[in-house]
Amino acid sequence: MPAEKNDRRTKLLQLAAGAVFLAIVAVAVLIVVNSTGNGGDTSLEGKAEVNRLLKGIPQGMALGDQGLVLGDLKAPVELVEYGDLQCPVCKGYSEDVLPPIIENEVRKGQARIVFLNFTIIGEQSVAAGAAALAAGKQGRGWNYVELFYRNQGEENSGYVTDEFLKAIAEGAGVKNIAEWERERKQLTSEVGSSTADAQSLGFEGTPSFVVRGPNTGLELLGTPDSTAALEEAIEKAG
Amino acid sequence: MSSPNKQFPSEWALRRLIAFVAALGVGVATYITIADSGGGAPACLAGGSGCQTVADSSYSHLAGINVAALGIVGYVLLLASAFLASDAARFGGFVVALGGFGFSVYLTYIEVFKIEAICQWCVASAVLMTILFLLNATRLIGYAGAERELAADAG
Repeated sequence: MPAEKNDRRTKLLQLAAGAVFLAIVAVAVLIVVNSTGNGGDTSLEGKAEVNRLLKGIPQGMALGDQGLVLGDLKAPVELVEYGDLQCPVCKGYSEDVLPPIIENEVRKGQARIVFLNFTIIGEQSVAAGAAALAAGKQGRGWNYVELFYRNQGEENSGYVTDEFLKAIAEGAGVKNIAEWERERKQLTSEVGSSTADAQSLGFEGTPSFVVRGPNTGLELLGTPDSTAALEEAIEKAG
Repeated sequence: MSSPNKQFPSEWALRRLIAFVAALGVGVATYITIADSGGGAPACLAGGSGCQTVADSSYSHLAGINVAALGIVGYVLLLASAFLASDAARFGGFVVALGGFGFSVYLTYIEVFKIEAICQWCVASAVLMTILFLLNATRLIGYAGAERELAADAG
């Protein structure tokens, strides 16, 4: 029955043409949405720099999901930073003071750094800190912290919106955004716990540092003013 | 054996080619999925860092699922379509290949313009999906409506 075969063939080819049209529209829409959206990853400052800085260094969590660990868990010395993601001085430490330590002591396995939230600036700091911890649950906590600092706005100005936190998460390479959204709402108590710990240690400002090593045990460093001062403390502790 | 339509290669040859390329695709997509599953990335040839950058990007996952895992599903469906000589297999293979090709175009755009890094393994998968789209389109245009027996005998 050639006529029936021809009909079937014509119908299939018409359907195929429709599918091609739909596919072209779908791809065009996806590309337009991505190019005109709220920026996604590429509207953020310093993403490549952060990726380069942290590439290949193990990350984890510590102290019951309160701390973001960067470096080898077997490293003899632990440098703890109590920081507030809204704090401009912490941003300066993140960009200028800590990178040489990450490149040397951390990368060589001599020390690890643990970031703990010490939220002294405002409620937005708590939301930001919890978002960083949630990124840490997916192994991207330090990427989150570093990228946040490089895109930090004015303290308590309202820039720490859900959209901003999500853009940082995407830029930091958090792979499961839905899970990150769920986790970040459940981690505010951890932010409060580490803030209380910092206060119990007598710290009043951010960033504040503690070093712990076989030679010195726990030593409160306060806010050392240079990379050299932190390196000296690490060397003494180890 | 000659094909029913001299303008086209025999359907048997097309099906064998589709099966071969789809099997390669399963291999590539499986490698990317396994390399990424431990928090790592596929190894870029010549020591490039593009694969790591792409794997680290949030675009490498869709609702928490690695896009390479979706690729495995697509390639397996294409492989299955090559084993059947029916209009359903011809049309199904074409639609899956079209979807895979469109998604590859989108992902390549994301790599070049959003992530600004190229992963050689993703490019390999995109090339394989493009070939599969062309083969499946040729199969559908050449043999849609053909009898099962005629198509199976061809080649």
